Amino acid sequence: MPVASPPADVARDLPPAPVRRGALKARWVVLGGLACAVPFAVPFADLVVDALREPAAILDVLASSRTAEPLWRTVQLAVIVTCASVVVGTGMAWLTVRGDLPARRFWQVAAVLPLVIPSYVGAHAFVSAFAPGGLVAELFGVEPVTDVRGLPAAAWVLTTLSYPYVYLPVAARLSGLSPSLEESARLLGRRPLAVFFTVALPQCALAIGAGALLVALYTISDFGAVQFVGYDTLTRQIYGARFDRTAAVAFSLLLAVLAIALTLVERGVARRVPQAPAMTLRRAVTVPLGRWRAPALAAVAFVVLASLVAPLVVLGWWVWQGLVNDTPRFPDDGLIPPLLGSTWVSIAAALIAVAVVLPIARLTVRHRSRAGGVASTFVVSGFALPGIVIALSLVNLFVATPLYQTYVVLLAAYVIHFGGQALRASQVAVAAVPERMEEAARLLGASRWRRLRTVEVPMMLPGLAAGAGLVLLNTMKELPATLLLAPIGHESLSGRIWQTAEQVYRYDVATTSLVLIACSAVLTWWLVIRRMEHVVR
Amino acid sequence: MVAATVALTVTACSDDGQRLTIYSGRTEDLIGPLLEQYAEDTGTGIDVRYGDSADLALLIDQEGGRSPADVFVSQSPGALGYLAGGGRLQPLPEDVLGLVPERFESDAGDWVGLSGRVRVLVYNTELVDESDLPASVFDLTDPQFADEVGVAPTNGSFQDFVTAMREQVGDDKTSAWLSGLADGGARTYPNNVSIVEAVGRGEIRYGLVNHYYNERAKQEDPSVPSENYFFPDRDLGGLILVTGAGILDTADDDATAADFVEYLLSDTAQHYFAEETFEYPLVDGIDPVGGQPPLESIPSPEENLSRLGAELATTREMVDASGLAAG
Repeated sequence: MPVASPPADVARDLPPAPVRRGALKARWVVLGGLACAVPFAVPFADLVVDALREPAAILDVLASSRTAEPLWRTVQLAVIVTCASVVVGTGMAWLTVRGDLPARRFWQVAAVLPLVIPSYVGAHAFVSAFAPGGLVAELFGVEPVTDVRGLPAAAWVLTTLSYPYVYLPVAARLSGLSPSLEESARLLGRRPLAVFFTVALPQCALAIGAGALLVALYTISDFGAVQFVGYDTLTRQIYGARFDRTAAVAFSLLLAVLAIALTLVERGVARRVPQAPAMTLRRAVTVPLGRWRAPALAAVAFVVLASLVAPLVVLGWWVWQGLVNDTPRFPDDGLIPPLLGSTWVSIAAALIAVAVVLPIARLTVRHRSRAGGVASTFVVSGFALPGIVIALSLVNLFVATPLYQTYVVLLAAYVIHFGGQALRASQVAVAAVPERMEEAARLLGASRWRRLRTVEVPMMLPGLAAGAGLVLLNTMKELPATLLLAPIGHESLSGRIWQTAEQVYRYDVATTSLVLIACSAVLTWWLVIRRMEHVVR
Repeated sequence: MVAATVALTVTACSDDGQRLTIYSGRTEDLIGPLLEQYAEDTGTGIDVRYGDSADLALLIDQEGGRSPADVFVSQSPGALGYLAGGGRLQPLPEDVLGLVPERFESDAGDWVGLSGRVRVLVYNTELVDESDLPASVFDLTDPQFADEVGVAPTNGSFQDFVTAMREQVGDDKTSAWLSGLADGGARTYPNNVSIVEAVGRGEIRYGLVNHYYNERAKQEDPSVPSENYFFPDRDLGGLILVTGAGILDTADDDATAADFVEYLLSDTAQHYFAEETFEYPLVDGIDPVGGQPPLESIPSPEENLSRLGAELATTREMVDASGLAAG
């Protein structure tokens, strides 16, 4: 079951675009794509404008040790989490897609789900479980030896929560890859591990790169986990320096530059990697793992246990404790209003994000213009900007309009923040429509609308659904922009978790978190996983 | 049908005339029931945006002259001081300011304290003998407390406390105290809640926090072996920090806004803060609940409270430089 998502620049895999009938039409596609990309540049432009007001002061901050140390810590964390996620995500993908493990479907779904756990919840659960005197000590009577603070803790928590960004595209790639090479290698006597390293891995390079980029961006933008384990990164500095506007702008700018650099590096590397085209497989291909089967199963089980089961157990424990001590303090209407609020807003954000990035995806895949490359860089980098930076830039833009404090601005913030995730999936989706087929439909006299409806959309649907799913998950978890931009009276699950976590109400935190996780899981299954099964087998 | 309903609601409100938009750094649990009561009593329509105090102050700053907010309720003097420094708060009427002792309002009279939080040393009763408790917060750098004290260096309350310390004993002594804590292996946490939890499970023996967190933790689980220790003899460690409210320069209806702030200082509201949120009421004649020492025995920052906001950047730099905040 091939949860799909998107290898990077799929553009490279395609034959050169034929020269189209009208250059005029191409120009409209370019203009349309660029217009869709403009909103994504807003936070970046806002930062630059702010910085130009006091360039000398900004440079002072950037040149000081106040900047150097958090920057170095951020880079260390990003490198460790990205490398670890690549190893875990790729290994999990190969074992659950290719390995002859029992209950493969189960592992495939479980491997994706840590993505729905907000980092502030995951980190809180981790600290409560493994800190001296925590849940693990209480239940098993052993004091965990590791310190639950600083770099190791931050790296652990973020890796367990973000490796699915690698897992998703690699699993999708593997299930769409012709097994003949791997089978030949096996028949020639290579062991499964050797087949993995010499045959499967190189073919997944692009997918790994795309996933690694998202992990790196997620890591440098994270506030929840680093705040909980006390690891001082640039993003933590941005929040800490809120009343020091100069420093906040300087740190945000630096983070933006870092994000753009990461995105460009990934694009640059990806461009040099050749890739065999994917195909739709009619049969599931598995590799007999032999005596590696038991250790492989143990490894997969351990990853699922550490990343998914452990946080859920801690949350369950808090709920249990709350019930025992009779402390629930929910308002009468319970969790229904925030559940509905989060759900509809997330679905809307996901649909809009896909609609907005699709023209940009067409631009990069079909037309491969330089403008498309610039546009997609901004779209993807927006994921690394902290929510508060994006929110405040939109306040600046909209406060004088009647749209301010309406859902329009809130949805715009979500789309700008998370659109990059839909972009990658949309690129895959666009690439999935053979141009020849479109051409054929056109020659047969089908109208533009009819071609779109009967040829393009059905073929793009799985990729678009995957992109929408990722936007949806992130929107459900988002907190700072939600609190600042939502119309007054809007209720959200993340807002409710924040409110109760500010107090000591662990029962409420845990219950609300579980509802958020369950709701995200159901929506992901419905939108992404289930749909993929229809199309890619 | 929906459109008709909306139109009706709007008409009803505009007939009554009054509508207040409040940006509240206090979460709904800590103020919601009061707002409902006020709306019911006065017929004023209330719109509230809840959020982190610092984030909301930034939001108001960014919104500028077009801010929809009428009143800002903050968890800490820092965020109010930030807005006051930008000239965004207007002077409160004398009769509102007169309700609380002068030490709990800004010198310029542009914001007023609503409730107090006292800095305490929370300790684990199973691991700590009462005779080992320090006489002063400055003693926490002694070797006997090494590796056993939890602090939240990025937390607003801790930073306000450090600013107050700087005002009282100077930057040098404050820096020495911060470095002493860092060198002694003080453990850092994201917030007060985590410290209270860590003390409760015995990960550390002591923690510097606001007093009411332990009260709430005990309400959640009465068996937790943690207690508050109030530093004696008006020690700086037992400082009171206030939550407060101010009226914004963008307020539509100053009189209604002032009436609302006055309500937050009424007997009803002050008893609510004492009994429901375990804070210190600031209005004379209303006592804190439980075994908490009386307000008169608790010191407050000597300098103008608004300076807590203005000095925050320097405080942050000092905390950073001490090595306490880094991972």
